[in-house]
Amino acid sequence: MRQSRGAATHWAASPWLFLLPGLAVIAVFNLYPFLATVWQSFTDARTLLPGHWVGLRNFQDMLHDDQFWTALRNSALYVALVVPCTVLLPLLLALLVQPRVRFVGFFRAAFYTPVVASVVVVALIWNWMLDDRGLINGILHALGAGPVPFLGNGWLLLFSAMALTVWKGLGYYMIIYLAALANVPRELHEAASVDGAGAVRRFLSITVPSVRSTMVLVGALSSVAAFKVFSEVFLMAGPTGGPAGQDTTLVMLVERTGTGLSGRVGYASALSLVVFVITLVLMLLVLRAGRGEGER
Amino acid sequence: MPISRGTLPRKAVGAAVPVVLAALTLTACGGGGGGTSADGKVAGDISFQTWNLRANYKDYFNGLIAQFEKEYPDVRVKWIDQPADHYADKLSADAAGGTMPDVVNVSPDLAYPLARAGVLTNLDKEPASAKYRGEYTPEAWQANEMPGLNGGYAFPWYLNTGPLFYNKALFAQAGLDPDRPPKTYDELFADADAMARHSGGKVATLAATPAIEDFGRYGVRLMNADASEFTYNEPKGVELLNRYKQLYTSGGLDSTALTNGPEESGQKFLEQKVAMNPGSAHDLSNFKENAPTLYKNLGITDAPNNTGHPNMYVMGLGISSTSRHKAAAIAFAHFVTDKRNQESFAHKVAIFPSTKGSLDEPYWTRDDGTDEGRVRVAAARMLKGAVNYTPVVMSDEMKTVLQNQVALALQGKKSPKQALDDAVAQSDRLLKQS
Repeated sequence: MRQSRGAATHWAASPWLFLLPGLAVIAVFNLYPFLATVWQSFTDARTLLPGHWVGLRNFQDMLHDDQFWTALRNSALYVALVVPCTVLLPLLLALLVQPRVRFVGFFRAAFYTPVVASVVVVALIWNWMLDDRGLINGILHALGAGPVPFLGNGWLLLFSAMALTVWKGLGYYMIIYLAALANVPRELHEAASVDGAGAVRRFLSITVPSVRSTMVLVGALSSVAAFKVFSEVFLMAGPTGGPAGQDTTLVMLVERTGTGLSGRVGYASALSLVVFVITLVLMLLVLRAGRGEGER
Repeated sequence: MPISRGTLPRKAVGAAVPVVLAALTLTACGGGGGGTSADGKVAGDISFQTWNLRANYKDYFNGLIAQFEKEYPDVRVKWIDQPADHYADKLSADAAGGTMPDVVNVSPDLAYPLARAGVLTNLDKEPASAKYRGEYTPEAWQANEMPGLNGGYAFPWYLNTGPLFYNKALFAQAGLDPDRPPKTYDELFADADAMARHSGGKVATLAATPAIEDFGRYGVRLMNADASEFTYNEPKGVELLNRYKQLYTSGGLDSTALTNGPEESGQKFLEQKVAMNPGSAHDLSNFKENAPTLYKNLGITDAPNNTGHPNMYVMGLGISSTSRHKAAAIAFAHFVTDKRNQESFAHKVAIFPSTKGSLDEPYWTRDDGTDEGRVRVAAARMLKGAVNYTPVVMSDEMKTVLQNQVALALQGKKSPKQALDDAVAQSDRLLKQS
């Protein structure tokens, strides 16, 4: 059917007009900053001084920067230790609060509370608890042990920040798992029970396969979040990144080098680009692993 | 010709490109533009940015502005106040966007990068501002002079210095005389050692690792004459770090000192977990309100120094180099920082004026018998001859480098000499890149 000129114009322009506000926002707040970061990573730009093209020098400097390797190690450790916990523990928690029994609403709300609590407030409370003269060491002292330097030892501080991240994220991922568990047919569990399968067997053979795609999603989300961790470590270890900067993560290093009136914007942009590439690879790996599992 | 699906976006893009470029060009130029002459008429609308002062001093500043506008009816002052956190980021965004307020509250370390980027006016080069130089103490004016930039870049405003607070009860418990606090570094380290021994390592004397101003007070030369290289790794610097290392090992330095900032150290003192902490007259009301037991046992002494020159903190008012009404901006900045208004502000809050002769006024020389009066007089006495030890070229990143290397030395992972050599090498490299 032949369309009139007006109708054709309307048909062709409409999608773009509808998309325009969204595209403009993406262009201004995502695309432009991203391209500017890529460009600046090859310059020696500073906060108030325009940069000159320096080629790969920022990336070469990175290879000789001890702080970069420390930060990369810490961010990688965060992923390696936090992600398994945030994939498995919320699933167990979701199983615990899934049955509709008395007071289950209270427990669901209690587990979710850390998610809505301000990370600043939570980190302060943890700092007070883990202080040399805080609650935990007080208990240890009463038991004749300690004090354990949770906040004075670089490794313990990093593990404490990881524990905070896991604790704070449990409720969030638990909700995602609860939604996934609601879709697991009850008949499967009933049939397995009739066949004599115990709770562990049912968990491994029914629950886990049924929520595998959700586990992949949680894995991808928590991997990205763990690799880009900032607030928990910054608040617990302080702006210097713990004793001698030993707990600095990559995003903290970006913040430290790139902000302030004397910020090394070029170098911080190069660091950001490295974070971006690693995060992208990480996410693709997790998703690929999930797909591979699904195809099996 | 009907518009096909394929041609519309291309055409739209073609039309949009010049529009976007024009918009970008316009926005890029909008905030800039050269400033006006400083010798022109004192007239026009100017903006005045302070650093976290509105919450407590709103009425004072509104009154001050009204008074100025009465004296200069052709000027309108718009007051902007920024929160304490991320002030440097706010300044950098303003400077980069060409939207710097006409009169802006800066400390010397913030003024330096702004001056170097050409965003602040060199007050010594403008006759309209240079004529006021003699009204301020030389130390205060010099604090805003930037190495290699030949001039002062901010009107000196208020000063502060820290007495050292100490907990008399903890001193007495450790068998030390609570009325004889340490006056020298030797006494400080000896008392800290005694405190750690008597308390079985439970009470530390200090809660923070040495910062650059501590090296300055100890008598370490921090930089070379033209501020192009750091020199705090000289033997005296190594000596200070060695002493801090012994202090850390003996328990005289709090175990969390490696990560403590000023707030955390202050909190430790408030909780009576450490015996001494540097502070300012501001802290008295905090102690009175939040730690009455500590307040009852509070001792106040001068911070030890080996140079005879205590440390001071300086605030200033800079003038944007692109101000459209520079004459008005200079007149207002001078008005806020002149003798009368500085003294009037310093009567309202525990700060000290930087104008010549102000600290000789009875308010800062006569002890009225109150704790506040005692701290005020002691601090004012310290401010005479005080200097700002923190080099203006030392960026936050360089301060972090020093703090991290000091931590490595205290942990025994590096020798103090090696740690300071590394800190100086890294800081020099950053300085050269800047």
